[in-house]
Amino acid sequence: MKGVTARPGSATAWALSGTAWLVYAFFYAPIVLLVIFSFSDDRNVGRWGGFTLSWYEQFIDHSQLQNSLWVSIRVALLSTAISVVLGTLAALALERFRFRGKRVFDALLYLPVIIPDVTMAVMMLLFFSEGIRIAEMLFGLDLTKGFTTITISHIAFNISFVSVVVRARLSGMNEQLEEAALDLYADRWRSFRYVTLPQIAPGIAGGALLALTLSLDDVVVTQFASGPGSTTLPVFVFGMIRRGVTPLINAVSVIMLAASIVLVILSIVTQRLRTGETGRTLGDRLRRRSDSSLMG
Amino acid sequence: MPAAVPAVGLHSITKRFGDVIAVDSVDLEIADGEFFALLGPSGCGKTTTLRLIAGLEFPTTGSLRIFGDEVGTLPPNRRPVNTVFQNYALFPHMTAEENVAFGLRMRKTPKSEIEPRVRDAIALVHMEGMEQRRPDQLSGGQQQRVALARALVNSPKVLLLDEPLGALDLKLREAMQLELKALQREVGITFVFVTHDQGEALAMSDRIGVMDGGRLLQVGTPEEIYARPANRFVADFIGHANLLDGMVTGPDQVTLTNGITIAAPSDIQPGGRVAVSLRPEQAFLHSLGVAPGHHTSVDGRVEQVTYLGNALIYRVSFQWMHIDVRAENRPGRAPVSAGDEVTVSWEPSSVAVVQD
Repeated sequence: MKGVTARPGSATAWALSGTAWLVYAFFYAPIVLLVIFSFSDDRNVGRWGGFTLSWYEQFIDHSQLQNSLWVSIRVALLSTAISVVLGTLAALALERFRFRGKRVFDALLYLPVIIPDVTMAVMMLLFFSEGIRIAEMLFGLDLTKGFTTITISHIAFNISFVSVVVRARLSGMNEQLEEAALDLYADRWRSFRYVTLPQIAPGIAGGALLALTLSLDDVVVTQFASGPGSTTLPVFVFGMIRRGVTPLINAVSVIMLAASIVLVILSIVTQRLRTGETGRTLGDRLRRRSDSSLMG
Repeated sequence: MPAAVPAVGLHSITKRFGDVIAVDSVDLEIADGEFFALLGPSGCGKTTTLRLIAGLEFPTTGSLRIFGDEVGTLPPNRRPVNTVFQNYALFPHMTAEENVAFGLRMRKTPKSEIEPRVRDAIALVHMEGMEQRRPDQLSGGQQQRVALARALVNSPKVLLLDEPLGALDLKLREAMQLELKALQREVGITFVFVTHDQGEALAMSDRIGVMDGGRLLQVGTPEEIYARPANRFVADFIGHANLLDGMVTGPDQVTLTNGITIAAPSDIQPGGRVAVSLRPEQAFLHSLGVAPGHHTSVDGRVEQVTYLGNALIYRVSFQWMHIDVRAENRPGRAPVSAGDEVTVSWEPSSVAVVQD
């Protein structure tokens, strides 16, 4: 990347830095406002009524909120784990093997990425209500919508996103590496374990983070898949808003924000740790590239 | 010539990809300790043949033996061969040392044995001090050395090399040619290497197999292939050749399409359509009418002179045909320029009669 440096003090330099600050303001001003008003001692969200921690205390005491937070976290972790495995396997199948119906499978796999959330949600609703009816009829099982159905619906859309990300990484990998591993006495499993997997690990990690985020964020599909007993935090918050907005919402949002920041930091830290241990990771490579572009 | 038990034996090996026949009933025996080149233009089936030996492809029909053992259906990890891949295919997430140790680790070699063997292999290719580098921190030549060490450390019975020098620049390629040859003598392992570069094949190999269109056209020493090409393709592909079209009109006699009859020893029946192959450096240029008596000679006119630095190429036309004559650029060379009437001559034994 070769750049032209604007002369300091010139109109161009001012305009450039002005734009940058504007963009930052656009990103972060709402966040700052959100954080400030979560400490406001006034039932009205937009009015400052002095400092208080009572909204956070309310959050801690609010058992339904707590409950939905745990559901969110459990759904996110479980659906991510399962969709990472299934999505990676799907990506491997599509990139490495030839089989009957491959094109159809390829197209169908990406359907959840394309179709609108609402359509997906209605599909899930129908699927679960029919599924539960049939299960009751055939096996006498008494199922209700809740944690399981939410998790299944999240897995359903996450598989697509994971396999898109992993496949991008796989297609960039030199296939001869796997042949070299086979030539060097590795069997198929060990060639995957020691050569393919380390090569696509950044893709898998990226897919997992994406799946985690999508699962934690989802409102529409979850709304249709959740039952009266359990629901996720975003859906619960959405319901609260309809009953009236208080700074409790702000407090909840700040906590969710803090959690996602922690998640991002964690992913960076784990990448750093891996750097120290086995050499370079994706982040490291990106850093090297930007270093060399600075020097060049 | 092949020893009693050949290192590699291919018997009527055919490989089809759908309708395409990549390798067409190839019979080939490569002797133990031989440096063998598979030579041909791209798409001739030479790489597929190598991959068949490696086990990365399986033959459609035919038998493939390595030191007498049938291996045609074995996966690559169960064959006593190792491969140096075209672009080296070093594992990017491992150091040079880890790359070299990979094969030994996969074979569950005891740790105490891995370390000295890896050290020896790295020393063999002169890469000491580079053990902890990753492939992207190595130059092309260094990567190639690591790839060689990674294959040789396993003491394969046969080493397969797919265009091993293709990715290197010219100077380095020439240096590596000599080094590879020396390395092969040192380790004494059978080397089978694939190349499209006829100069490389001539310079390095004990024997060459020339391939085209999936078929093995000729197998022989560099001298045999160069002096006695089996057909027109081989004559044209190896080095530079004047190919004069004609027909066998008598014992050891060919009449060219322009009506000139010349002596050309062959065992082809009269009436056969042939080409007479004459290497430019085997032809000599004389003043008009002055040619050694025992030589075959034709009179013609110099059409073009190409200066190469170390040599000159004279294109001499005679009756709608032309012959390129190569002369070394030595002192005392009589000046010849375009338009001069000259005589071109050659020893009758230096031509080869080839069929299409």
